[in-house]
Amino acid sequence: MNTVKISARQFALIVIFFSVGSTILTIPGGMTQAAKQDAWIGAILGTGISFILVFLYITITKMFPQLTLVELNEKILGKWIGRIVSLCFIFFAFYSSALMLADVGDFLTIQILPETPNAALQILFAIIVIMGVRLGLETLARSAEILFICFMVLFIILVITLLPKVELENIQPIFESGKPIIKAAFLYICYFSLPLVVLLMVFPASVNQPKKAEKNFYISILISGTILLCLIILTILVVGSTLSAHQLYPSYALARMINLENFLQRIEAIMAAMWFITLYFKMVFYFFAAVIGLAQTLKLNDYLPLTLPLGMILVLLSLLVNPNTVAAETFNTDIWPLLVSTYGLGLPILLLAVQYSKKNFQRNKQQK
Amino acid sequence: MLGIAGVLVTALIIVIKEVPYLKRKKLKREAWAFSFLLLFAIGLGIAISLQLNIPNPRNGLTTIYKPLSELLKYWIK
Repeated sequence: MNTVKISARQFALIVIFFSVGSTILTIPGGMTQAAKQDAWIGAILGTGISFILVFLYITITKMFPQLTLVELNEKILGKWIGRIVSLCFIFFAFYSSALMLADVGDFLTIQILPETPNAALQILFAIIVIMGVRLGLETLARSAEILFICFMVLFIILVITLLPKVELENIQPIFESGKPIIKAAFLYICYFSLPLVVLLMVFPASVNQPKKAEKNFYISILISGTILLCLIILTILVVGSTLSAHQLYPSYALARMINLENFLQRIEAIMAAMWFITLYFKMVFYFFAAVIGLAQTLKLNDYLPLTLPLGMILVLLSLLVNPNTVAAETFNTDIWPLLVSTYGLGLPILLLAVQYSKKNFQRNKQQK
Repeated sequence: MLGIAGVLVTALIIVIKEVPYLKRKKLKREAWAFSFLLLFAIGLGIAISLQLNIPNPRNGLTTIYKPLSELLKYWIK
């Protein structure tokens, strides 16, 4: 099953897309709510902490470099506990992809296509996600290479066209909020780097140059951190912290402000392509991790037959997860950080601790 | 009614697409997992289109994490 290999560069691009993912759409709002105009400091702090997290992830993969996270669970925690933990992890990945799908549907119905029923958009988006998973990791990695150029071009257009609109007063006074910066940073990590644990289903088992990929992991965190930092600073400078805290999708409001000499304006729908690319990759890898994880837990040799029924459940679940926007917001700010910390922080630390004590125990036995 | 029809048609399309593949490759365990998941999906779909009261995983997660979340709110205000 693990015959497909991707190169270290493709892996780096996947990390960039995955960590930028839904963060780019929602996080400026949550962070400016918490820390007002100091949200960007929180982003810098968060990116710094993310390096430690990546170090943690790389450390646990070094114990058994050929295994994915689900196989690692079974190897370290034993057959039955490992399987239960794996099933919880699969549920987390699957539930997150349903959340992302619901997010995409909400975003489209609220901002672009208000008359279209939510379910129709979600089904359309789910079809390309399932298609991606069925075509396999290599196809996804190559499409990441192509779409990265689109993404960067759109991003650079966004930044350059907004530069004339910058008002420096919006970011002053700096360091006014103090403690809430920590809250903003925590929120940032919960969207930016803790979900990266899902990529341990791909890395390092399916990457053909693990050593180089490790280095690229850090570099791509740096790149995506910079992208998000630019976006958050621009949101604060152009839209202003008060206004962006009240927006559901501040970065879309940002794209709306593009206006060059009354000539180039209303191009936010083109800019939205940027969000779709990153959201797609984030969702596809959540779903991919759930499918592969389930196949490995059940000891199946072929994951293809699982994709279509799981995709159907994905669409149905995404209709259930968010009853309304207010409920979605409370879930995103109250429950999601804890849910993702359980798997992004708790699970790796648990694995490390169990493996370490096992080793110590064996060594003590040998000495006696 | 339309919802139920949609669910059943989708399930039928999935069966038509996947069953020959499963038969050709003689995948037994995969076939079990496939049929279990598909039955679950059909049940869920019909329940949703009849607007039955389904236990929402969202509520379960909220119940589990609520005490922790309140503690966290207290720590970082």
